[in-house]
Amino acid sequence: MNREWAAILRSKWFPASVGITAALAIAGLLVGFVVLPLADRNEQFHSVWDAICSAAGLIQNAAREPVVQANYPTTRVELTPRMLRGASAESIGRGATLALRCTMCHGARGLSEANTPNLAGQYAVVIYKQLMDFKTGARVSAVMAPLVGDLSDQDMRDLAAYYAYLPRVPASRPAGEPPQIVASGAPLRSIAPCGACHGELASKPGAAWLEGQPFDYLRTQLQDFASGARRNDIGEQMRNVARGMTVAEIDAASRFYAGLRGPTGSQADASSKQH
Amino acid sequence: MTEPPPPPSHDEGAERIEGIERRWAMVGIGVLLVLVVVAAFAGIHQAAMPQSRVEIVDPLRLHLSGEFIDSNLGSAVEPDGSVTVRAIGQEYSFTPSCILVPRDTPITFRATSADVVHGFLIDGTDINLMLVPGYISSLRARFETLGERYMPCHEFCGTGHEGMWGRIKVVDKAVFAQMAAGAKRVSCVK
Repeated sequence: MNREWAAILRSKWFPASVGITAALAIAGLLVGFVVLPLADRNEQFHSVWDAICSAAGLIQNAAREPVVQANYPTTRVELTPRMLRGASAESIGRGATLALRCTMCHGARGLSEANTPNLAGQYAVVIYKQLMDFKTGARVSAVMAPLVGDLSDQDMRDLAAYYAYLPRVPASRPAGEPPQIVASGAPLRSIAPCGACHGELASKPGAAWLEGQPFDYLRTQLQDFASGARRNDIGEQMRNVARGMTVAEIDAASRFYAGLRGPTGSQADASSKQH
Repeated sequence: MTEPPPPPSHDEGAERIEGIERRWAMVGIGVLLVLVVVAAFAGIHQAAMPQSRVEIVDPLRLHLSGEFIDSNLGSAVEPDGSVTVRAIGQEYSFTPSCILVPRDTPITFRATSADVVHGFLIDGTDINLMLVPGYISSLRARFETLGERYMPCHEFCGTGHEGMWGRIKVVDKAVFAQMAAGAKRVSCVK
């Protein structure tokens, strides 16, 4: 072995091959870390060292001018896919006691007699987020605002756990295919299907379970999202969709989720007159 | 009938084969060199370069603070006259859903995703970014022609992916200046 090494080291090819390899490596490093970053028209680096650090993947958030703040309250809730899972029996029990103040409108077991939302079986994340938004004023309601003012964060978590625990309204799905806006949306007008987030096809954290909600409530919310009267949706995710929906589509989606049959008929007309 | 020529000797055959091999090796090396030069030229002069600066952001907290809160999205006029466009992609829309930019003006796009990987592509241009949750994608651009272009999300992002696309409207500098005069952030969302 030693004799082989000695022969290799003595060879005139040894320094040449090592030198060529080293030169290639240095040239590659110079091109990758200095030449190409400095040639990038997307970035202006202050120094060669800055360019080298950026090319090496060092995280450097650029300093930016102050951001424009909204002149209305925005939602402060951070949604994660796993939040509020696995509520304890104690939390559900506390929620049931707290829910006594909600029964007037939302029913004794979370099933509304009026045109207020049915809360039984709603996702806990949805209840929690809406309660928080009512409290911070991100979602405006003259009825809800005074009722949530004294709720603590834990109170809202308990209420969410309780309503998520209650059995849902019995499915009263109208016969036949769901309307096109629910099943496939309107891709040519940049509208994803309702079901892509609201549980028919897939679920998105924070998107409500809509089946069995009152027609009037659903239609009002879609109209408010479209007009901008309601703006507590994170990143305008509902406003972007509702703005593009036609009156007929808003009607069809609300009727479908409310469990009403067919296109706009006497029932919808009657309920709209109640307004 | 004549006698067939004697088969070539061992050395002669090896020499011929070596010659053929050398010629093919030259062809192969030539092809490689041409490809390297073409790739380097296209990468530096024609195509958009990969982003050199790594910037991160918490995708779950975009709406709470920082430059991607709702009210800060859209086009902003910088002191040097250039325009910065901030946008987010989320399941299943872009915000703002209609981006407004002036013609013949340096534009910097800064965008990110609030949930999964989305694509940010403007048709008819070489603008093509991936919006990766947690990272800020940025790109400089310039629009020479007026009109409306589409921005389809081109990374499959979920069951509503086909409905996810936005618009970008390139307007005259004067029209843009007029619209930007009253507002700090502009877009063409109606």
